Amino acid sequence: MKSLACLLAVLACSAPGFSLAAEWKMDPANSRLEFTATFEKTPAPGLFKEFDTRLDFDPAKPAGGRLDVTIRVASADMASADINKAIAGAEWFDFVRHQQAEFHSTDIRQAPAQAGSYVARGVLTLKGVQQPVEVPFRWSEAADGVMMQGEFTVKRSPFGIGTGEWTATDVIGPEVAVKFRVRLRKAS
Amino acid sequence: MRTPLSSAPSGNAKTDAAWSASIRLFHWLVAALIFIQFALGWLAVGWALSPTKINLFVWHKSVGMLILALVVARLLNRLARLTPPLPADTPAWERAAARWSHTLLYVLMVAMPLTGWAINSAAGIPFRIFWQLPLPALMAPDKHTADIVALVHFALGIAFVALLILHIGAALRHHFVKRNDVLRRMLPSRRLVK
Repeated sequence: MKSLACLLAVLACSAPGFSLAAEWKMDPANSRLEFTATFEKTPAPGLFKEFDTRLDFDPAKPAGGRLDVTIRVASADMASADINKAIAGAEWFDFVRHQQAEFHSTDIRQAPAQAGSYVARGVLTLKGVQQPVEVPFRWSEAADGVMMQGEFTVKRSPFGIGTGEWTATDVIGPEVAVKFRVRLRKAS
Repeated sequence: MRTPLSSAPSGNAKTDAAWSASIRLFHWLVAALIFIQFALGWLAVGWALSPTKINLFVWHKSVGMLILALVVARLLNRLARLTPPLPADTPAWERAAARWSHTLLYVLMVAMPLTGWAINSAAGIPFRIFWQLPLPALMAPDKHTADIVALVHFALGIAFVALLILHIGAALRHHFVKRNDVLRRMLPSRRLVK
């Protein structure tokens, strides 16, 4: 009898909808990581074709969660052969020496007064430079998984993206908008 | 005094009739802009990719659009006015050469900015004239088209250089060899002759 109660408790805990921290894995085919720089005050969009997201998260108890993102920087594509060649260079992303960018959260919390919205604070490592970054995201559950999306801005200069003459921000603006839409499935 | 094209030139249509002050100003302004334009284009293409290169291109494109606007205005103006006649002893072949070379100069002064505009459009580069006025694209971005139009722009540029050498050479010939008024009546210092 006692063992049956135990079994029921275990079943209840693992039933869908029962909120507990879960491991989430990214579905790459349905996920996008975009960035938009500015050229002469006009948006210049690009995307990272290869990246991965791992998440340990319970929307009801965000505090214990953890978000880890890895980006293959050389997968950056700005839809122009000339620009793609330029951004590979040492003045920009420096593909040869800095192949990977990473974000690791130190803390996830509910966004104030917004149901389903959260903020992951953490450290972004890009071109060998670590900077604190806040990543806001919306969390929406669907039948076959979860959609996590958000956007934020980073300044390029602390990371040394655009050195030398490019430090000037009249041609290429100082800020880059980052936008992501990540499809997650529960890791089995 | 200018006479409209519709009416026959009156007695003042002498060989030494000068260009009006505004036409002479236009001629030397556009001449200066064209030389600046060649220098800017040459520098911009050769410059290493940097903000300076991009700014050189913005100057080149902006000056090109300025020339286009001035030349279109001048063409409209020219349709409504007579040009001072060539000296009476000018042979027929020279008259034809003058007419054709001037027509070609106008064609190139319009075609250069238009092909430049087309390159910018096909390359999909956002551009504001003198960093202010956005220039609409003539076509959807396409790398292949951009490469072809760039080649046309370059070839027209070479033809333009050849034509300018001919134009300047002919003006100098009028002045130093034939010793007539054709160059002097376009010079800025010259007072308008009645």
